[in-house]
Amino acid sequence: MTVSVMVVDDHPMWREGVARDLAERGFEVVATAGDAASAMRIAKAVRPNVVLMDLNLGELSGVDATLMITGELPETRVLVLSASGEHDDVLQAVKAGASGYLVKSASAEELVEAVNRTAAGDAVFTAGLAGLVLGEYRRMAAAPDDAEDKPQLTDRETEVLRLVAKGLTARQIANRLVISHRTVENHVQSTLRKLQLHNRVELARYAIEHGLDSEPEAER
Amino acid sequence: MTKDPATPLWRGTVVVRVFTLCFAVVHVIAESEAYQRPWLAWTILGAMAFWTVFTGFAYWGGWGRTKPVVVADVAVICVLMALSPLTMTDLQLQYWNVPLTTTVWASVPALAAGALGGQRWGLPAALVIGLSTYLTEGALTVGLMRDVVLLMGAAVVVGLAASVGRSATMARQSSSRMAEALRAEAAAGERERLARSIHDGVLQVLARIHKRGLEVGGETAELARLAGEQEIALRALLAAPGESTEDGEVDLRSALRVLATPAVQVSAPATRVLLDSAVADELTAQVREFLSGVTGRAWVLVEDLGDEVVISIRDDGDGEREVRVQRKGVLT
Repeated sequence: MTVSVMVVDDHPMWREGVARDLAERGFEVVATAGDAASAMRIAKAVRPNVVLMDLNLGELSGVDATLMITGELPETRVLVLSASGEHDDVLQAVKAGASGYLVKSASAEELVEAVNRTAAGDAVFTAGLAGLVLGEYRRMAAAPDDAEDKPQLTDRETEVLRLVAKGLTARQIANRLVISHRTVENHVQSTLRKLQLHNRVELARYAIEHGLDSEPEAER
Repeated sequence: MTKDPATPLWRGTVVVRVFTLCFAVVHVIAESEAYQRPWLAWTILGAMAFWTVFTGFAYWGGWGRTKPVVVADVAVICVLMALSPLTMTDLQLQYWNVPLTTTVWASVPALAAGALGGQRWGLPAALVIGLSTYLTEGALTVGLMRDVVLLMGAAVVVGLAASVGRSATMARQSSSRMAEALRAEAAAGERERLARSIHDGVLQVLARIHKRGLEVGGETAELARLAGEQEIALRALLAAPGESTEDGEVDLRSALRVLATPAVQVSAPATRVLLDSAVADELTAQVREFLSGVTGRAWVLVEDLGDEVVISIRDDGDGEREVRVQRKGVLT
């Protein structure tokens, strides 16, 4: 089955270039969008397998679009393709539900592989993203609030993430830890899922605390 | 001066003073037959007229709305009031209860004082004038008490009105200053947004050249390599504000990201990793030294464990090195 892809980027040159690259390599590029608002609208209509998401989109960011798309379209996966190197943005996008991150300077082969793996449901972790996710878990652990539902990494997950951050491929990690390749993938995915789940719970809690969950009519 | 919110109050005192002067003139005409020294009464009236004109110009135009003029106003009224009994016979003064020559005209400075400094000025001025009236008449009568209370009440009302007007003006001024600050901030934010957008655009172009150039190959591959290096350099620059904190600590991430090249990946948390700048320099030097011996790809991982910072370096020849720094600054 061909993988359907939507490309979201505010730079037409980049957007069309990536779309062409992907089409040449057998992907079905079903839509492109230049801003977050139309990305959300179009994604709902075309329901692509994978959304390639730039983060620097102007008024509404790619983080907002990621949160909405992954929230409303559970079958659609978001792969962040960012040039800016704004690390906090990348982390926010991953917490919002993106299943991976790739720098724009990645080669066409790396991009193709990343889109395929994202479509298959795997997390696409660069060493850089692993460093960010590790840092985020540690930040939460060190935070003074003693919330009981703070997500934590298991020792094995920490070990795997550190190896990813040190540039080892999933296969190299599997060999080193004497576990299966699939298990490595599962550990990596699990670190992301816990982070995303926690993020959704936090957002919902924030909404309830600030009365954003009820309709204005209901308050009357 | 025209911006003084109490301007209507000042002009009000001028109008009241002119009216009360008319009243005093009528009063002197009516009483002059019986005065002991009519010439003095007319002289006092002349002085009152002069003072009415002077304060009229001073308060109406605004240049005289100052403490010295208002204090002088009160003083002049008291002197004229003190002179008034000399115009009268003892009979007029003690039994007929004839009003002083200055009459109600004497109350106006208390209002002016209220317009100048709120009730803080108005009330004391009213008291001074009341006291002066008591000393001049020499007797504490019910009528005198009533006049003093009315005078104090009037001074307080005018004073309150002046204070409210001033604080409204101050609120307007501070809200306009606030609006100005917000505008400046918005402009700075807009500049920053534009800069980010431009940087992002340049990064995009560099990344695209890098990617396509490598695919095309040949001489273009050299261009691609250069574009790739510049992209990483710019990204490191943007990611690294590089400023140090007040206690001489620096963000270790900024120092290490400078070492990133197409072959060297630096991974770090999204939050700052603060270390003493000397320790950070030492660490950076160690990482640089390790990287200088690497020919292929390399990865640098920065981890902040709270009480210690861990830097792991690995190259694709599977050389590995780990440096741990206790936050106290001991290298291990």
